[in-house]
Amino acid sequence: MHRYPRWPIHLILFFVSILMLIPFYWVLKTSLTGENIFTYPPAILPEDPHLFYYVDVWYSIPFFRYLINSVFVSAMVVAANVFLNAMAGYALTRDFVGKKSLILLFLSCMMIPFQVTIIPAYLITKELGLLNTHFGMALPLCSTIVCIFVFKASFDAVPPSLIDAARIDGVPDWKIIFRIMVPLSQSAIATNVILAFIWSWNNFLWPLVIIRDQAMQTLPLGLSRFLTVLEDTTGALYAFCVLVLVPGLIIFLLAQRQFIAGLISGAAKG
Amino acid sequence: MRFSIKKKRTRELVLIWFFLAPSLAIFALYRIIPLIWNGVLSFQFWSPYKPSEFAGLYHYQEMLFYDDTFWQSLWNTLIFMGSAPIGIALALVIALLVNTQIRGRGIYRTIVFMSYPVMTVAAGIIWQWLYNEKVGLINYILMTFGIIDEGIPFLESFDFALPAVIVASIWQVIGFYMIILLTGLQNIPPSLYEAAAIDGASTWQRFRRITFPLLKPSLFLCFVIGIINSFTNFDLVYVMTQGGPSHATELLITYIYLVAFKLSKFDYAAALTIVNFLFFVCLAWIANRMSGGEAGAVDEGT
Repeated sequence: MHRYPRWPIHLILFFVSILMLIPFYWVLKTSLTGENIFTYPPAILPEDPHLFYYVDVWYSIPFFRYLINSVFVSAMVVAANVFLNAMAGYALTRDFVGKKSLILLFLSCMMIPFQVTIIPAYLITKELGLLNTHFGMALPLCSTIVCIFVFKASFDAVPPSLIDAARIDGVPDWKIIFRIMVPLSQSAIATNVILAFIWSWNNFLWPLVIIRDQAMQTLPLGLSRFLTVLEDTTGALYAFCVLVLVPGLIIFLLAQRQFIAGLISGAAKG
Repeated sequence: MRFSIKKKRTRELVLIWFFLAPSLAIFALYRIIPLIWNGVLSFQFWSPYKPSEFAGLYHYQEMLFYDDTFWQSLWNTLIFMGSAPIGIALALVIALLVNTQIRGRGIYRTIVFMSYPVMTVAAGIIWQWLYNEKVGLINYILMTFGIIDEGIPFLESFDFALPAVIVASIWQVIGFYMIILLTGLQNIPPSLYEAAAIDGASTWQRFRRITFPLLKPSLFLCFVIGIINSFTNFDLVYVMTQGGPSHATELLITYIYLVAFKLSKFDYAAALTIVNFLFFVCLAWIANRMSGGEAGAVDEGT
């Protein structure tokens, strides 16, 4: 099995890696040097890099405000997701009348992409008076069907004898959930936290639709607004980009394994 | 005794529905009601300040017979979808190479996957910069190698804008395809390859007879993701081109946004949405039939 030479594989993969990394490099370079669009050719290596544009971003736009908004909405989404999906997932492990049709309903809901419902969802949010609010941004993402099924599968895997034993001992239901089932479902929780965080952190269309007030904008909104408003501040724009990318990449590199496992279980069921 | 069991059962049922209620409320509010409302809206003349009026099939007629932009965006969505196999094929090659026993495969894997968790808005801005006519890296490289004589304004050109956006979207999603295919590859029992090696099967035969058939579900899953992507990839197009130049990169989803929230024609946008949805459901159904009804099937259990 090991007779083939290794170096062509390395060569191809090295080339692919370079291609994949170039956009990252280029944005980092531009954020450090800015760009004079009248010079040609563009410098491949950064010439006298400086951090001026990062300072510029911090003071010229409410970067911190965007960050706080993003963090706040994502925290709300993640907490609600874990809580509500675990509850619904647990309910689906029990027997009750109409369970089959309920599961069918969930599965057909999964077929409705959120983008398709955007217009009435906007009108509903307006009726509820939630336009321009953090809660309005978070609410549609607060429970996700994929993750309900992830929790259901995880709860189903808990040995029934364990639950029966607890029940015979007179342990109340809520205690069974929080003392036995949730601790045994840590990977489901990790999956849900990661998926909910990515969805809400990168969410763009929904905030774009319901947020009018600049003080309520999240990072993606602020970034796209910056692109359209300030045409000639190239360096600052890319410094902003780097600042947005870095936290996400750090989280990804630290929790790569859980991250990938979460995405795959999400994709396989979505 | 029997009475108390019954009482307990009632309490349990209350608890079950109490647990389901919040999630159900959210899905009702943001999935089911909107879908029905969309349907109703598409048969009405409606604007935020006027009472609604019955419109019959007016919006559908306008869309199908008079709206060239609708057809353009439908066509672009199909091209976007049709480009998915290119990304999947590239991802398959990378996955096969990374799945060998070479040193540093974990690093390669991480690098290829790293573009996926990137915020799409940021990815769009980066790529817009790479495509820049004057100082963009891509034009510079093409000119250095003498492929073109002067810079191409990729994103402002009617012919190049859509392929340019598609390349950016492949860059972003290829790592995800690779991970899915890699998982599929690792689930193939090694004993099959050992048996094939004993029988003297060539590398190509092993790929053709073992890898490819067993990888079909993973490939299929990638394609489904590609389809969904072509319907939902709003962020990239919005940031890179805003659907322009003259709707050359308009996808159905960006067109719906434009009609509803820029032109304030909610009723017409609702009709577009309904067509978009039916189209999506048809594709999903066809895809499901092709895969033998396995893709997207969730283990229902009992």
